[in-house]
Amino acid sequence: MTNTNEFINHLASKLGRPTPIETPPPVEISVPQYRLSNTEERASIFLQNWQALGGKGAIVKSDNDMLQCLKEWFGDLPVTWFKDNPQALIAWDMLPSIAESAFSTLNWPLTRYTQSSLDPRDRYSIAAHAELGITSSDLGIALSGTIVMNSDPLRGRAVSLLPPRHLAFIETTKIRNNLFEVLEEISALGTPPAAIEMISGPSRTSDIEMDLSIGVHGPIEVYVVVTDN
Amino acid sequence: MTMYNLTTDQRVDKALADNFLRQATRRATDRLRNNKYKASDELGNWEEWRNAGETIRKHVIANLDFYLHQLIEQMEKRGVHVHLAKTPADAVGIVRNIVREHDAKNVLKSKSMISEEIHLNHALEEDGAAAVETDLGEYIIQIAGEPPSHIIVPAMHKTRQQVADLFEPIAGHALSSDTPTLTRFVRIQMREQFLRGDIGITGCNFAVANTGSIVMVTNEGNGRMVSTLPRVQITLMGMERIVPSFRELDIMLNLLARSATGQRLSSYTTILTPPKKSADSDGPEEYHLVILDHNRSEILGDKLFRTALNCIRCGACFNVCPVYRQLGGHAYGSVYSGPIGSVITPLLEKDWKKWGHLPYFSSLCGACTEGCPVRIPLHDLLVKLRMRKTQSGHTPQVEQQIFKAYRYLFTREKTLRRALRLGAHLQWPFVRNHRITGGPAPLSNWTKSRTLPMVAPKPFMQIWADLNNKR
Ligand code: SF4
Repeated sequence: MTNTNEFINHLASKLGRPTPIETPPPVEISVPQYRLSNTEERASIFLQNWQALGGKGAIVKSDNDMLQCLKEWFGDLPVTWFKDNPQALIAWDMLPSIAESAFSTLNWPLTRYTQSSLDPRDRYSIAAHAELGITSSDLGIALSGTIVMNSDPLRGRAVSLLPPRHLAFIETTKIRNNLFEVLEEISALGTPPAAIEMISGPSRTSDIEMDLSIGVHGPIEVYVVVTDN
Repeated sequence: MTMYNLTTDQRVDKALADNFLRQATRRATDRLRNNKYKASDELGNWEEWRNAGETIRKHVIANLDFYLHQLIEQMEKRGVHVHLAKTPADAVGIVRNIVREHDAKNVLKSKSMISEEIHLNHALEEDGAAAVETDLGEYIIQIAGEPPSHIIVPAMHKTRQQVADLFEPIAGHALSSDTPTLTRFVRIQMREQFLRGDIGITGCNFAVANTGSIVMVTNEGNGRMVSTLPRVQITLMGMERIVPSFRELDIMLNLLARSATGQRLSSYTTILTPPKKSADSDGPEEYHLVILDHNRSEILGDKLFRTALNCIRCGACFNVCPVYRQLGGHAYGSVYSGPIGSVITPLLEKDWKKWGHLPYFSSLCGACTEGCPVRIPLHDLLVKLRMRKTQSGHTPQVEQQIFKAYRYLFTREKTLRRALRLGAHLQWPFVRNHRITGGPAPLSNWTKSRTLPMVAPKPFMQIWADLNNKR
């Protein structure tokens, strides 16, 4: 193993000067960034792009809209799922209240991932056997149809990863124009969380004869509900 | 691995005779290239993004010592184990030790070109702790025992039937060769491995110096699996893979996703700032970052070639290169193929004997330079590498003799005239339709596959002199 100072000094000698002590002045960057004029437009473009990637999405404005939307997407499936697996719906500890109340009205009980077991391997197994993973989303990107999720103790990273379906909730006001704005906002928070996951559509691969195939490792079906209060 | 035992000529012949390979290469490169055009055109100001990308990369490389130091400090402050590897052997040793210490049985890997560069899989196999490749393409070539043929789509040279044949012994039953069946098989097969994984090994697309973060992009989600589920994670990174902060990351991620596959962002872009917080339910508790030099510091100190370190491994130069498009990646014989592979392999490996052919795997058309999102002057670097190779005395004897003879003749006018006159006479047995089509060695090396224009019966110098006389 090489000592850090030795390694860094070696690079400095290759660069022909001592290592700067202060952060070098940042380079100027001027690229025209993609911008939309208002929240409504951002929500609608976000949805369009999310759908173009193969995701399902809808904007809901009321509790009733939410119920309709979930019923339309999943119908009686959850009821069938529960017969075999009472933990078919696995979720973060906290979801937006409009989502929480919809699930209780529908009588679709949610298993909270972090409380599902003390042993991580058991938790993974529960999540992998679930039918639907449910999360919220901290931010969205209109340009790329992306949802952004910061990790934290009440949120399992596996919930959006292991089940074959992933459903996320996001508020219209959280949708940004582009990646730059999202990264800027996250930087402003100080030390980033252990993981920031940016998800744009379902898991995909073109590794066999360049033939697009969905769902090789991550979720096969992805859903976003954009809530507009 | 048979591929590695062949000579360059044999590999090229093999590639040229493989119709499926050539067709597949063209299909893959066409698709990726066209997707890139769409994704870069849609920005409407691609050149400005390229400018920004080039500026950022140059700035990072010019201050690599500072940023690397900052990255290491940030990482260590939070309890990440940072390992600095001078050579591939050092890097392999570090990973081997970690695997041994944990007595790990299930080692999972997401895509990492560094792991290919250091031939990690081979070493772990010897220890009985083989790492399973989890990227579909990498998994296919791992079973086939072959190196990647494209940096983005490593198994593009395999037919779906070949893939089905490779999977069948693992499945234990016949598999139909349609893509959904094959993909589903891998999903089920790999799932169990993911859930049991002890150690995850990942690559690193970018490391953010001021936050101490690692950025990974995948489309399949295997990168997320490998960095979320195992208790221990090892990330391998080339020491140049740095951005100063999130501000520059925006530009680099846009350039990478758009240039590599034509996406606005890859399906999964993950920014890890490890290790996990103690209350977090998922993510590795123990995190190792292995930073590899492997002569990158030599390239850093070499003003002629420093820009080669700016590469973000997007593969765009592969997709526009007429040589790559004809041959695919295996003919190069190196881990990194395509134009950038031809540039960096001789510099990283420092072995002209083995890699001296690479700078010649180019028509010098410049398409690579034009396609590169960070504006690396690839074709220019290839010419300079040829020069380096010649200066180091590694050109073949015949070539050296020919150029000596050339210099000799062209610095002596009378002798040149005499030689041309002689040539005009001696060439006749080999001339067909005004072209020289054969001849003794070393000329035959050329005429085996091409013809030469014949020496004019009346040399230009004579024609010129006659014209002057007439005036
Ligand atoms: S040299 Fe340029 S085009 Fe080629 S892989 Fe690197 S960044 Fe991409």
